[in-house]
Amino acid sequence: MNLNELNLNYFAILPEIITAVAGVIVMLVDAFSRDGARRANAALAVAGLLAALLAVVGLWTGGLAPAGATAFGGMVVVDELRLFFSGIIVVAGIVAALLAARFLRDEALPPGEFFSLLLFATTGMLLMAGAGDLVMVFLGLEISSITTYVLAGYRRHDLRANESSLKYFLLGSFATAFLLYGMALTYGATGTTNLEAIRQAIAQGAVSYPSLLLIGAGMMLVGFGFKVASAPFHLWTPDVYEGAPTLVTAFMATGPKAAVFAAFLRVFAIGLNAPAAGVGLQLHTTWLNALAVIAVLSMTIGNVIALSQRNIKRMLAYSSIAHAGYTLVGFVTGDRGPVGFYWGPVAFYMLTYTLMNLGAFAVIQLLARAGDERTEIADYAGIGFEAPALSFPLAIFLLSLAGIPPTAGFMGKFYVFSFAWESAPDLRWLVIAAIVNSIISIYYYLYPIVVMFFRPLQPGFVKPRVGGAVAAVLIITLAGTFYLGLLPNRVLGWTSKAQVSRAR
Amino acid sequence: MNSSIVTITTFLPAAGAVLLLLHGLFWSRQGADEGRLDEQYRWITLLVTLATFAASLVLLSGFDQSQAGPQLALKAPWIGALNVSYYVGVDGISLWLVILTTFLMPVAVLASWHVGRRVRAYMIFMLVLETGMIGVFVALDMFLFYLFFELSLVPMYFLIGVWGGERRIYAAVKFFVYTVVGSLLMLVAIIAVYYLNGGTTFDVIEIAQNVAERRTVIPEGVALWLWLAFALAFFIKVPLFPFHTWLPDAHVEAPTAGSIILAGVLLKMGTYGLLRFNLPLFPETSVAMAPYVMVLAVIGIIYGALVAMVQPDMKKLVAYSSVSHMGFIVMGIFAFTELSLQGALYQMLNHGISTGALFYCVGVIYDRRHTREIAEFGGVATPMPRYSTLFVIVSLSSMGLPLLNGFIGEFLILLGTFSSRVPYARLFAVLGATGVILSAVYLLWMLQRVLFGEVTRPENERLADLDWREQAGLIPLALLAIVMGVAPMLFLRASQPAIEKVQKGIEGSKVIRVSN
Repeated sequence: MNLNELNLNYFAILPEIITAVAGVIVMLVDAFSRDGARRANAALAVAGLLAALLAVVGLWTGGLAPAGATAFGGMVVVDELRLFFSGIIVVAGIVAALLAARFLRDEALPPGEFFSLLLFATTGMLLMAGAGDLVMVFLGLEISSITTYVLAGYRRHDLRANESSLKYFLLGSFATAFLLYGMALTYGATGTTNLEAIRQAIAQGAVSYPSLLLIGAGMMLVGFGFKVASAPFHLWTPDVYEGAPTLVTAFMATGPKAAVFAAFLRVFAIGLNAPAAGVGLQLHTTWLNALAVIAVLSMTIGNVIALSQRNIKRMLAYSSIAHAGYTLVGFVTGDRGPVGFYWGPVAFYMLTYTLMNLGAFAVIQLLARAGDERTEIADYAGIGFEAPALSFPLAIFLLSLAGIPPTAGFMGKFYVFSFAWESAPDLRWLVIAAIVNSIISIYYYLYPIVVMFFRPLQPGFVKPRVGGAVAAVLIITLAGTFYLGLLPNRVLGWTSKAQVSRAR
Repeated sequence: MNSSIVTITTFLPAAGAVLLLLHGLFWSRQGADEGRLDEQYRWITLLVTLATFAASLVLLSGFDQSQAGPQLALKAPWIGALNVSYYVGVDGISLWLVILTTFLMPVAVLASWHVGRRVRAYMIFMLVLETGMIGVFVALDMFLFYLFFELSLVPMYFLIGVWGGERRIYAAVKFFVYTVVGSLLMLVAIIAVYYLNGGTTFDVIEIAQNVAERRTVIPEGVALWLWLAFALAFFIKVPLFPFHTWLPDAHVEAPTAGSIILAGVLLKMGTYGLLRFNLPLFPETSVAMAPYVMVLAVIGIIYGALVAMVQPDMKKLVAYSSVSHMGFIVMGIFAFTELSLQGALYQMLNHGISTGALFYCVGVIYDRRHTREIAEFGGVATPMPRYSTLFVIVSLSSMGLPLLNGFIGEFLILLGTFSSRVPYARLFAVLGATGVILSAVYLLWMLQRVLFGEVTRPENERLADLDWREQAGLIPLALLAIVMGVAPMLFLRASQPAIEKVQKGIEGSKVIRVSN
């Protein structure tokens, strides 16, 4: 490999560079200002993320780097898969940054570290989405994970936050270990960490120890399963989501999830997707079957346990497990795409999920007040018409999560389910299971609505003031929810390029 | 104009809802008197619903009675990536249901005049509900239909849950969950039908045409499951015994206007769906399943009537009478004769008008006494003569007295069912006919106990008779009941071609075996 083949094109990682540099600048500004320049930091962070979004758009249009190109010796890939997910990640980052200013003021927490951690986490996620190599996947994952562990415990005098952070750290490290060991075994079997090269190796039957490859893939599956919060690897989710500051929960439930799904797609749908040769075929069937089982388990466990939750953050944690399951339905059936692996449904579903979840958490954060004191659903009694600017959006986000039209959640489900129904006739039971689960989920998504609108108001409710940043978040997420629910044509068009051709 | 009138009728109420929203945002802040604002909201809503009714009359005037297919249609690409189009139009079946909806809405708004709590939100939900309901009837794209089907659910859920009676939460959640269970299964069936037809269009008219002309063949085993998925959604909505248990709860807890709309229009979505989807898309399966459906319908007719008879609560009585009457309609649909289908469609309209009026009457007396117990009343005719006259007329119309609308519908259904070739149809017709007798029993008995005789309680001596707005709501309903009873051809003619088409589709399936 000579220098030209390395292709050191910095434009290919422009979004990542922007977020990383913005993170550094935030740290410097914080260091040189006397009393923590909260507003300046927030503005810098949002500006940095917006610039990163612009860079993503620039890459998408092909102005910065040719589509399909690889850079840095195959470490980074420029393709639609990466850029679509990058968009989702950056949006999640922007929303978190917008919500953070108020949170930090209300709780009197230092702002500088928060925003720089947020930006570095975003950098890691973006790297994960664009990784063309197992090493890059791991690097991105670690950058984003370690920063998120800290963010989860950012309210450091709060016991719940400490528990959340520690639990996230321990179980996350556990998952990372699985992933890393899996990567090592895969490297041992194929002699390379480059995903494209791994696929070539499997396709050509150049695998030295087939069983190593199978075990390695299984371990990576467990690792990714942990990180996207799918059952049976979901046990950390409720405690971590409940204990972390609400806006961090919002961020954790969307950004990293999207990033890990992108990496998950890359490793399994590209790297380990060569069903032609003997071990390749065996591997392919095995991970598809395993994912189908994980999908059903996630949907069922998530939804059934969510039924009995009385804390809205825990409820949404279980709901997020269930949504990982719906997404996996798209993942499994994406394998039956007309040309190759079709990741459109997964990407579209992640986008809808991100928007409605961010919106819901934004309202919850505001209603919870400082210290996240009011997160029991019972605390919402009767606020429906007292704080309509918050309760109606929350109701819409919940209905969207439940999949009621004309919202994004419905369109996402419709897209995933109809694609699955058509492309995988033998997997229609998966769609039926998903529909049955959607029915179950209606019940718990309705519960907060019932409490908000149909129960009498409790004394002591103080209507929170909706500031400009929160209003912006609500407008973005609401508009997105209805836009994707009613006029998804354009975005669906973007995902129509969502084919990854497969080496046969 | 021609092609946009359907869209205008559908979205006019939604525009009104936006107007109310903006009105509240921009005028209510200036410390205006709340009572006056509420009065404005009521008037705006009433005017919007009247304008919608006027728009639907324009629709009627542009309708060509000799055609069977959809008219005044507008088809535009909407979500190209999924082959979903915005396709709306009316045919002889949906035309009258649209007009029923737009006609009942002003009545329902008048019936909600006394709602004093959160008037603006209430009226917004009412208007969104109207858009949803009209949309269900005019949508000819399956995806669009599903969208409106669910859209009509949410506002009704709020109307029951916020403005309902004591057990409103239970009733609202039950209503929502029951309906969603059915509709999600229907969604799977819609997707399956879409792909079985080649995965190019959600246009239900085109797919039905393909099925009729055998260009699209749905395998028998699959067809049964899909038929069941569609049917379950609609049976729950109708509601057909044994899926009816949500209905009495919802009706009893809903505010008066909610009950009027629920009984008048929402239940018709179920029977309309059967006519629009089950029969044309799965003619063979419909024929094969007809006897079973008829059994359920007949059980519903008799069971509903018997339960209605023993109700001490007037609203519950009317609610169970709905179960009974809707059973008639389902029986008419699954007898597959032209007469029974016409009768079913006519009975859908009749039921909307007379049951809507009955709920209105119950609401009027509830407003005055805050009770609906039959035992609390007696001799109400003395203080409230005008009310009693109207109450008697609508009750007679509901029980099917000749020269009133109910008679025409029930007669057509029974006649059509009797001559049907569905196995045991005669037996079903005879059994179903007992429902007519039973309905006379429970309604007349209720009238006797509530309206006639001596005034037994002092509270009832000074009840105020109908005021102007109650009359404005009830008198048109009573008049219409008479007009529809005297001149049915005025209405039946327009629906004939469309009904014939449905019937031909069933006949064309050629699996009806001559029995009896």
